[in-house]
Amino acid sequence: MVEKVKFKVFRYRPEDGGKGFYKEYEVPVKKGMTILDGLIYIKENIDPTLSVRYSCRMAICGSCGVRVNSLETLACHTQVLELKRRVIRVEPMRNYPLVKDLVTDMTPLFRKQKALMTWLIRQDNVEQENPTKQYLQSEEELERYLQFTYCIQCGLCYSACPVVSTFPDFYGPQPLMKAYRYYADSRDEGGEERVRLVDRFEGVWRCHFAGSCSAVCPKGVDPALAIQLLRRSALKG
Amino acid sequence: MRERDLMLLHYITGIGILVFGSIHVATIFFTYPFQDTIWETTLRFDSIPYAVLPVYRNALLAASLFGLLLCTTVHAMNGLRSIITELVGARKRWVEALLFAVGVFLLVYGTRTILIAHSLV
Repeated sequence: MVEKVKFKVFRYRPEDGGKGFYKEYEVPVKKGMTILDGLIYIKENIDPTLSVRYSCRMAICGSCGVRVNSLETLACHTQVLELKRRVIRVEPMRNYPLVKDLVTDMTPLFRKQKALMTWLIRQDNVEQENPTKQYLQSEEELERYLQFTYCIQCGLCYSACPVVSTFPDFYGPQPLMKAYRYYADSRDEGGEERVRLVDRFEGVWRCHFAGSCSAVCPKGVDPALAIQLLRRSALKG
Repeated sequence: MRERDLMLLHYITGIGILVFGSIHVATIFFTYPFQDTIWETTLRFDSIPYAVLPVYRNALLAASLFGLLLCTTVHAMNGLRSIITELVGARKRWVEALLFAVGVFLLVYGTRTILIAHSLV
C-alpha cells in the first residue's frame, strides 16, 4: 500500500546568502521506505537541485545525519511510516556550518578530534611501525572502551549538544568520547597528555549532562558517560 | 589555577553551601528565644528590632556564617563565569577579572558586616 506523505525540507543556497527556507514535496511512501529513500525520490523525480549527503544506506558510514521532526537521526536509519506523521520536517544538523540544503561541513568535529589527539599515543614509534610482537588485551581491558569504538562519527551527538549550540568552543560529545576511548585503551601511553587536553575551559567541565548526545546516537554509544569518566580521570590527575 | 582545581573548588563549595546553609537556617529557627512565632521574631524582625544580632554574636555561628559567605561567593562567581561565557559564546578575560573583583568585594563587605555584628569592629 502506498501512502502520500509531505516532506517539508529545509533548503539553503549559499549563493543566495539568505537564511534558507522550507519547501514541501509530496512523496509516495510504502512500507520499509526510509527518510533517505524519500529524499532520493525527491531528487530523482521532483527537484534535482536538492542536495543530500549519503553513502552506505545502512547506518554504517554516518554520512546522512539530518534532523527529522527536530530530532537528530540518520536518514537511512529512520523509516517514514514509523514516524506516523503526515508531514515530516527534514533539516540539516545544527552546530555545523551549512554547505547546501541538508549538507553540513563536518570540519569543526574533525578539527576538535585532532586537537584532542584521538589516536593511540605510543613512545615506541619504531616498534609500532614494524611490530615484533602482538599487543594483547584482556577481556576486561577491552570492555573499558569497547562501546565507544562503535562510534561511526556521524556527528549527530555534536548537533544535539545544547552546550555546543551556545558555546561553540566546547569540544563537544564526540571528540571527548573519542578521547576517552583512547585514554581507556591499555595500549595507549598518552593518558597524562590527553587528560591535560580535556582539562581546559572548553573541555569536559562545560558538559551540563543534558544527555541528548547519548539519546540520539544511532549506535547506542553513550558519550555523556565517557565525559563523566573523563572528568573523574581529570580530577584524579 | 587549572580548570579541574576550579571545578573541584566548585563542588566543594557547593557542599559547603548545603552544610553552612543548613547550620544557618537551623540557627535562625532554634537558637533565638521565640517571642511570638518563628516568622514574627526571626524572619520579619518587626516584633523585636535587631533580633538576629545575638546569633551573630555567637562566635561559632558567626564563623559558620563566614563559611556560608565564602562558599556562596566562590560558587556563585565560578558559576557565573560558566554561564556568562556560554551565553556570550566565547571566553572573555575581562569578564573573569570583573567577576573576581566582585567576588573579592562581596567577601570583604560580607566579612565586615559579620565582624560589625559580632562587635569586633
